[in-house]
Amino acid sequence: MSEDMDLLDLNLDDEFNEEELKKESEELLEMRFLTKENATFARTEGGFVSLKFGDKEYKRIGVYLTFPLTNPEEFISIREADEKAKEIGMVEDLKTLPKDQQEMLREQIRLRYFMPVIKKIMEIKEEYGYAYWHVETSFGVCRFTTHMSGDVVVSLSESRLLVKDIDGNRYEIPDFYALSVQEKKKLDLFI
Amino acid sequence: MKLLFTLTGSQLEALAPSPGEKLVYCVPADLAYDIQAADKNTPVADRYETNVFLAVTNQRLVVLAGDQMTYQTKLKDCKKIRCEHQVGCGIITVMDLEENETCIARVSMRQIVRASYAVRGAQAIVTSYQEFGDAQRAEEVTSSEYETYCEKCGRALPGTSTCPYCEGKMDIAKKFMSLCGGFVGKLLLISLSMLVISGMNMARPMVQRWFIDDALSTGKGTWTDLWVFVGISFAFLIGAILLEVWKNLACIKLGSALSMSLREKLYCKIQVLSLSFINKRKPGELMNRVSRDTGRIREFFEEVFGYMFSTLLTMIVSLVVMVTISPVMTGLSLMFVIVVFALMKIFWHHIHMIFHRQWIKSDELSNSIQDIISGMRIVKTFGTEDREAERFTKKAKDYAQTQSRNETFWAVFFPILTFLLGCGTYVAVLFGGRDVLAGKMTMGQLVQFMTYSGYLFGPLGWMTHLPRMVMQMVTSLNRIYDVLDEEPKIKDRDGSKEIAVKGHFQFEKVSFGYNSYEPVLENINFEVHPGEMIGFVGASGTGKSTMINLIMRLYDPDQGRIVLDGVDLRDVKVENLHSQIGVVLQETFLFSGTILDNIRFAKPTATLAEVIQAAKAANAHDFICKTPDGYNTYVGEHGYNLSGGERQRVAIARAILNNPKLLILDEATSALDTESEFLIQQALNRLIQGRTTFAIAHRLSTLREANRLIVIDKHSIAEMGSHNELLEKKGIYYGLVTAQLKMAEGRSESSLEKIGDGKTIENVVE
Repeated sequence: MSEDMDLLDLNLDDEFNEEELKKESEELLEMRFLTKENATFARTEGGFVSLKFGDKEYKRIGVYLTFPLTNPEEFISIREADEKAKEIGMVEDLKTLPKDQQEMLREQIRLRYFMPVIKKIMEIKEEYGYAYWHVETSFGVCRFTTHMSGDVVVSLSESRLLVKDIDGNRYEIPDFYALSVQEKKKLDLFI
Repeated sequence: MKLLFTLTGSQLEALAPSPGEKLVYCVPADLAYDIQAADKNTPVADRYETNVFLAVTNQRLVVLAGDQMTYQTKLKDCKKIRCEHQVGCGIITVMDLEENETCIARVSMRQIVRASYAVRGAQAIVTSYQEFGDAQRAEEVTSSEYETYCEKCGRALPGTSTCPYCEGKMDIAKKFMSLCGGFVGKLLLISLSMLVISGMNMARPMVQRWFIDDALSTGKGTWTDLWVFVGISFAFLIGAILLEVWKNLACIKLGSALSMSLREKLYCKIQVLSLSFINKRKPGELMNRVSRDTGRIREFFEEVFGYMFSTLLTMIVSLVVMVTISPVMTGLSLMFVIVVFALMKIFWHHIHMIFHRQWIKSDELSNSIQDIISGMRIVKTFGTEDREAERFTKKAKDYAQTQSRNETFWAVFFPILTFLLGCGTYVAVLFGGRDVLAGKMTMGQLVQFMTYSGYLFGPLGWMTHLPRMVMQMVTSLNRIYDVLDEEPKIKDRDGSKEIAVKGHFQFEKVSFGYNSYEPVLENINFEVHPGEMIGFVGASGTGKSTMINLIMRLYDPDQGRIVLDGVDLRDVKVENLHSQIGVVLQETFLFSGTILDNIRFAKPTATLAEVIQAAKAANAHDFICKTPDGYNTYVGEHGYNLSGGERQRVAIARAILNNPKLLILDEATSALDTESEFLIQQALNRLIQGRTTFAIAHRLSTLREANRLIVIDKHSIAEMGSHNELLEKKGIYYGLVTAQLKMAEGRSESSLEKIGDGKTIENVVE
C-alpha cells in the first residue's frame, strides 16, 4: 500500500474527504428525533407530505416504520424521498405530534404499507398444488392464490398469522382463535 | 405479460383521444386512490378497485376510474414518471417540470410488474419528448414476463406461458405426440401387449364358467376335462404374467428413454438460452425442470401409462359382462361401491388434510434440525443449548403425535372401506346363490360374476388417483416444453460472420437493463483502440459487470449498438467471438477434474508445452510443480483443494491458453493477500501486452496499468481519462482514491495501536 501512496503522491491532509466522511458516519450513528418543537409536517398537493426541520425543507419525505408488525406508531423513521432515502430523523411516538400532523403521517403509512386484514374466510380450495382463497378483507372481498408449501402461512405470534400469496401480497389474520370453527378447519391445511 | 387492456366504449369516450392520439399502454390499478382529494383529505382508501385503469397514450398519461377520467397530464409536461415499490404495494408518481411530485395511482403486488412496465413505456415517451420534441422515437416497451394467473379460468399458472387447463390441451396432446414420436413402434407394441393381457384376463373366467357348468356340475366331467381346464388356465396365467413382466420392463425402459431424451434436450437448450432467460428464473427452478419434471414423466410412463388403458379396458368389459349375467346383482354390488365412494369423498378432504399437516410438521422438524446444526456455533457461544433442545423436543413431540393420530385413523378407516366393498360381494352371493338354487342361474355364471366384480373393484382406488397423476404429468410436460420452446435471444443471424478480432470497440448510445423497466446502463458512448487497457471504476451496483456482460455478448443492448472492428457485435458468430475472449471472473469457477483439464478447458487440443507456458505466464507453474501430482492434481468440485489465490492463477492460465485477443478481468485479484496480488498483477501485466483488456477492480491499485479509466455512476459514464487526468479533475475518481488511501492509512494505524496494546498487556502480565 505504501507504494500506492508514492504513486499517487497526494496530500493526505487534504481537508476535503475525511471531514465529510466522518461527519456522515457520525450522522449515521446519531439518534435524531423529530418533535413538534423542531419539525413541521404539511400536506403537498401531490398527495405526499413535506417537512420543515430546523432550517431545512423537504418537498417530500418517506415514512418508514421500523417495527411495522409490532409497534407501528413508534420510532417512525422519516427519510428523504430519493433513491438513497437518507434518514432525516425519527418520530419516537407518533401521538406526541400535533393532531393534524399525526393524521398526515398515518395517511402516508397507509399509502406505503399494504397488508389487508382477513376478516372472514369463505373458502379455501385446493387444486393441483395451489390453494385458492376466497376471503373478505379490510379492503373488500378478494380472491388470491397461494402455493401449498408450509411457509405460506407464517405465525407472528401464538395467534397472529400472515399469509403470502403467489404475487407477494401479504394478508394478516390478527387472531386465529377468533375465527369460526369452519374457518379454522379450512386453515388446517397450512397450520 | 399483457400491457394493453381493452377499454369499454364509455371509458374510451372519457379518455377522449384527440386526432392522432393512440392508446399505447393500459393497465389496471387495483387499489383505491382518490387523487382528487389529495390536497385536503386522505386520498388513500382501504378498498380494492376493479375498474380503474392507468392509460398511456402517445401524448398523455390518464387515470380512468369507471367511466370517469380522474387524472390526466401531458407527457411533454412531465419530467419523470415512476412506479415506486412500497411495502406490499406500489405507487405511480409523476414529477412535473418544476419537480413537484404527485401520486396518481396505487397498485397491489398483483399488478405491480405490469404497472412498472407501463410506466417504463410512458417514461420512454417522456424521454423522447425531452430529446426530440415528439413521441415518435420512443421505444415501445414489451414484457416477456409471464402472467401469474390464467386470464380465462383464473387458475394460477405453474410458471408457464399458457394455462395447462385451458388453452394448452390441444397443445399438450401435440407435445405428448411429438414426445412419443421416436418411440411409436414401442408404444404400439406395449399397447398391443396390454390388449392381449386384458384379453387373457377376461378369458379366464369364461373358461372357468365352462368348466364348472359343463364338467363339474353336470357330473359328466372326465379327467381329460380337468387337465384341459387346468392346462388352459395355467397357460393363460403364465402367459399373462410373462407378458405383464415384459410390458412393465418395456414401460420402464420407455419412461427412462423418454425422460433421458427430454433431460438431454433441456440441458442443451438451457446452455443455448441466453443468460437473461436463466437469470429470470431461480437456479433451483431450472434444476427442478431438468431433474424433477423429467422424473415425473418417467414415473408416469412406469406407473400410470402401462396400466391406464388395460385397467380401463378390463373394468369396462367386466362391467358389461356383469350386466349381461345379472343386472340386479350388478346394481346391488355397485350400490356398495357408491357408498364407499361417498365415504371416500366425505373423508377425502380430512385424510388429505391430516396427511398434509403431517408433511408440514415433518418439514418443520427437518428445517429446525438443519437450522440448529448449521447454527451450532452460535447456539454454543450464546449458551442456549437447553432452550434450543426444548424447542426441538416440542416440535418432535408434535410431529410424533400427529403421525400416530394419522396412522391410527388410517388403520381404522381403511379396513372399514375394505369391509364395505366386501359386503357388496356378500350381498351379490346371497342373491346370486338364491338364483342358482332356483335354477335361474348356473353355478359357473355366479363364479364368473364374482371374478369379474373383483376385476372391476380392485383398481377403483387406483383409478381415483388417475386424474391427479395425469394432471401432474401434464404440468411437468408443460414446464419442460416451456423451456424447450423458448427462443434463445442471443443467436447467430443469417448474415453472422466470423472475424479475427483486432480489439477495436465502439459503444454507440448503448442502453441496457436486466428487466426492461429497470435500466442499468443508459446512453453509453466510448471508443477503445486495439491493445488498450480500460478500467471500469464505480460503486457496487452501478453497472460495471453489466458492461462486461455486454462486451462478452452474454446480453444484447436494449438500445444502441456495440461495434467490434467495424462489425456490429450482433453480426459476429457467438462461438467465434467467445473463442477469442479470455475471461477471469471474481468467482473463479474450476470444474472438477485435474489442473490440466481446467487449463485446457477452452482448448482441449493444447499441447503440454502450451499448458506449461500459460501456467508460467500466470505465475501458476511454481505452485503446481510443488504439488505431489503436479499438473495432474485433482482440484475437486469447484476447485476446493486449491487456495483462493491458486484457483485464481489457474483461472488466469485458462484464460490465456487460447491466446485471446480480448481479455476481461472482473475483480480478478479481489480475494488475494497483497503478496499474491503482486505476483498475479505481474502475471497480468505480462498478459495485457498487445491485447484489448477490460478490467474491473475495487482496489484501484490494480488498475495502475490501465490506459484509461471509465468511472460509472448513476447508470452512465461520469468520468473518463487516464489516472492522472482523473486525479486532476478532482471528481468521483479522486474521491475514491483518497478514500482508499485514508482507509489504508487508518488500517495500518489501528494495527499499530493493537501492537501497542499487546505490549502493555504483556507488561502487565510481567
